Amino acid sequence: MFRAVIAKELRNHLLSFRFLAVFVLLVVIVPVTVLVLANDHVRDLDDYARRRAEIQNYLNRYAHFNRIGNIIAPTQPPVPFQALIRGLSAETDLNSFDDDPLPVMFPLLDLTFIAAVLLSLAALVFTYDAVSGEKEDGTLKLMLSNGVSRSIILLGKVAGGAAALLIPYLVSLAVGMVLLLFNPRVGWSGADWGALGIILLGSVVYIGVFCGLGVFISSRHHSSSASILTCLFVWVLLALVIPNLSPYLASVLRPTPSRIQIGREITRLTDVERDDLGRKLSQERRTAVLAKYPILAGAERLSVAEIKARIEKDADFAKAYAVFRDESAAGWKEANAIQGGKARILREELGRKEAAQTRLSISLSMISPLADLTYLFADLSNTGMRNQAHFRTLAEAWDRTYGEYESGKIEALRRGNPTMDVWNTPVDVGDMPRFQYQEETLTSRIRGVLTPLTVLLIMAVGIFAAAFISFVRTDPR
Amino acid sequence: MPKAAPRLAGTIVRKEIVANLLSYKFFIVIGLTSLLIFTGLFVMARDYKGRLADYDLIKPKPGDPIAVLAPNPLSVLAKGLDEAMTRSFEVESIGIEVRAGRQSGNAVFAFFPAPDFVYIVKVVLSLVALLFGFDQISREREGGTLKLILSNPVSRAAVLAGKWLGNFLTLAVPFLIVTLLGLAVLALDPGFRLREGDAGRLALLLGICLAYIALFLSLGFLISATTRRSASTLVILLLIWAGMVFVLPNLGTLLARQIVDVPSVRSLHEKRQQIWTREVLLSIADRSTWDARIQSMNEEFDRLTEDYRMKFDRLVRLSKNLNRLSPAASFVYAATEVAGTGIGEEGRLKQEIVRYKNRVLEDNRLGRKDRAAFSYRYRPAGRVLAEGGLFDIAWLVVLNIVLFAAGYAAVVRYDVR
Repeated sequence: MFRAVIAKELRNHLLSFRFLAVFVLLVVIVPVTVLVLANDHVRDLDDYARRRAEIQNYLNRYAHFNRIGNIIAPTQPPVPFQALIRGLSAETDLNSFDDDPLPVMFPLLDLTFIAAVLLSLAALVFTYDAVSGEKEDGTLKLMLSNGVSRSIILLGKVAGGAAALLIPYLVSLAVGMVLLLFNPRVGWSGADWGALGIILLGSVVYIGVFCGLGVFISSRHHSSSASILTCLFVWVLLALVIPNLSPYLASVLRPTPSRIQIGREITRLTDVERDDLGRKLSQERRTAVLAKYPILAGAERLSVAEIKARIEKDADFAKAYAVFRDESAAGWKEANAIQGGKARILREELGRKEAAQTRLSISLSMISPLADLTYLFADLSNTGMRNQAHFRTLAEAWDRTYGEYESGKIEALRRGNPTMDVWNTPVDVGDMPRFQYQEETLTSRIRGVLTPLTVLLIMAVGIFAAAFISFVRTDPR
Repeated sequence: MPKAAPRLAGTIVRKEIVANLLSYKFFIVIGLTSLLIFTGLFVMARDYKGRLADYDLIKPKPGDPIAVLAPNPLSVLAKGLDEAMTRSFEVESIGIEVRAGRQSGNAVFAFFPAPDFVYIVKVVLSLVALLFGFDQISREREGGTLKLILSNPVSRAAVLAGKWLGNFLTLAVPFLIVTLLGLAVLALDPGFRLREGDAGRLALLLGICLAYIALFLSLGFLISATTRRSASTLVILLLIWAGMVFVLPNLGTLLARQIVDVPSVRSLHEKRQQIWTREVLLSIADRSTWDARIQSMNEEFDRLTEDYRMKFDRLVRLSKNLNRLSPAASFVYAATEVAGTGIGEEGRLKQEIVRYKNRVLEDNRLGRKDRAAFSYRYRPAGRVLAEGGLFDIAWLVVLNIVLFAAGYAAVVRYDVR
């Protein structure tokens, strides 16, 4: 019986005008988007290769340790998934004068956007009249007069709607992927195809959530024109408002201090206050040394040349003066450590509060299936927050390796020529460790998206249960 | 008939208003829009005040060669590029250093567009207008009342105009009331002060919103008059709406990038770093005068900036023109420009900053002491309109008229049975 119900639903959809409209829309938009994004990705690859070449060119001629750090700072190479999903990869670098503010005005179109916005809308359009429409037509009574349980009918309606929507989605995506395969520059690894599989799984659950929602709303209304209104109302809230509001609400609930204010505070701590404290501490230590070594009496008032002369003449003075100098330096070091510690606490506090706010924003936005799907797509495609953290870890590890290389190299240079200005002399850095970006493995990507996927699954089950309860209580007349 | 027609048209307007006021649709719509507009204004006002507090911290002291703009109070309604425009642009010997850019470490902000007033009008109110228009003709035909109306001595044009006006009023009046109420609450907040001339801009902004809403209402009427069943009307409308509001503007920018080749922001940044470190090294090596090197470096940087701006401006123009196929993009352009947070204003601010930098460097070279502070005047509303704003508004109005006329043509041919 279930097969008959689902076949009926599917046939109904396939012959309907809305199916045709959604099919045409997706089959046009998805391949066009894939083509354009793939082309864009190839340009990114070219740009990345060019930049690498320029850096190499520079290093061959001007590499010197004083400022090399600015030149070789690791950058994120384009990931192959960008031919489909953009995530957070838009260049909105806020610290350059020549920047690119266009993505702020209009976010780029990608598969995430198509799936999240268009599929959810289409799912509601497919199912808004699933119950209320049949009630109006009078066919619901007829169907229920057969020996078929309400749960079967309901399941058939949700599954039929979802299956009917999956057809245009999968077909359009397949066309897009074929186009992508023809592009020799876009090299997808096995892990990427695996990630695409999980992305499809997420899309199926997502479609299920919205089909269930459509059927649920439909069974609470007597007329299909009222149910479409409620559907759109709920859709606007879930898809277009909650995700956008969530970071703003989180910043009300868990405010973070302003980065600018903390920056000022840190500058004050490590600048003016450090100087005051350093003067005070080193003075204290110097007074102690002066009391201990009477030979130093009056040394503070001597000029540099006079001190140099006395050091050469008087071995005892030289020893005492060395202690004096070391203690003075130790005072400054202590001041640096104290103030640096205070600054670090501030910085860590800011980092902790920002992380807490981010977590709250994510949790709040996860009420919306659209946000769940967005996170799922972004993290699986290595274009999301998870990849940003992954990149930072890699860059920090490389920083340490490079630091070791640099100090080793400088030591070697100094051994070769003790008077050399090692910082400002061109050096051969051909043996320098290179930054290698490694994409996260598929398993850790999947582990990263377990939360949004679970939330989506729970939503699907919860909404189906709600739909079941209200459908069981529906008066079919 | 000549005398009865206007009275009948008035009756139709009244009938539409009453019918709407009593409908389920009206309540859902008013509830939703009030909720969204209030929440949007509240969170964006909070965001604005946070940025205002930051501005007080980074405000340059007299004599500092720093260009910082105070946050724009109208960014509460149309955030646009205000965050990028209120960064701290500090003039240094080799050019402009940008600071105080990223104000939050919360990456979720980057995932979803800001829910400001313009966003809500662009997305939600356009949908609402469609919902008001989509079943106007086809529902009355299905209900059989269209025949009855037309059996009266009233022209189809009057019916259409009366229906349109009635629906527009039921949409526009609550929208204006809710918005003005929200703004009035905002005005009670001492932290939120409008500048001189902002009231006029605000009025213009609301006018643009109304034109945009009217356009979608007309679109709804047109589709409603060309299809027989309201259910299929809605499907077409929703797809057209999604295409206009989401797909076209977001795809247009991508397409423009395929045509205009603009160097990436990062490649430019790296090139500057390379030039700068190279020059430092060379100057140490040959002990040449640093001033001459700074001079030549500045020229090289200026060339890079100029080249980038030229290409980027071309990209902006092309993407603007491509995006304008969608009225939603035209609406966003017009609204943000009028608010002073648009891409045109941002470009002009950058020009002014470059000019300021050149002046400061010139002063430094000549050893002049009294340095002028940076000041920027937003383009007056008249200039904004002249430089593209009017085009966008006119485009919205023309599209509206075309859609309405097409709707009229469809209604005249409509078989009312």
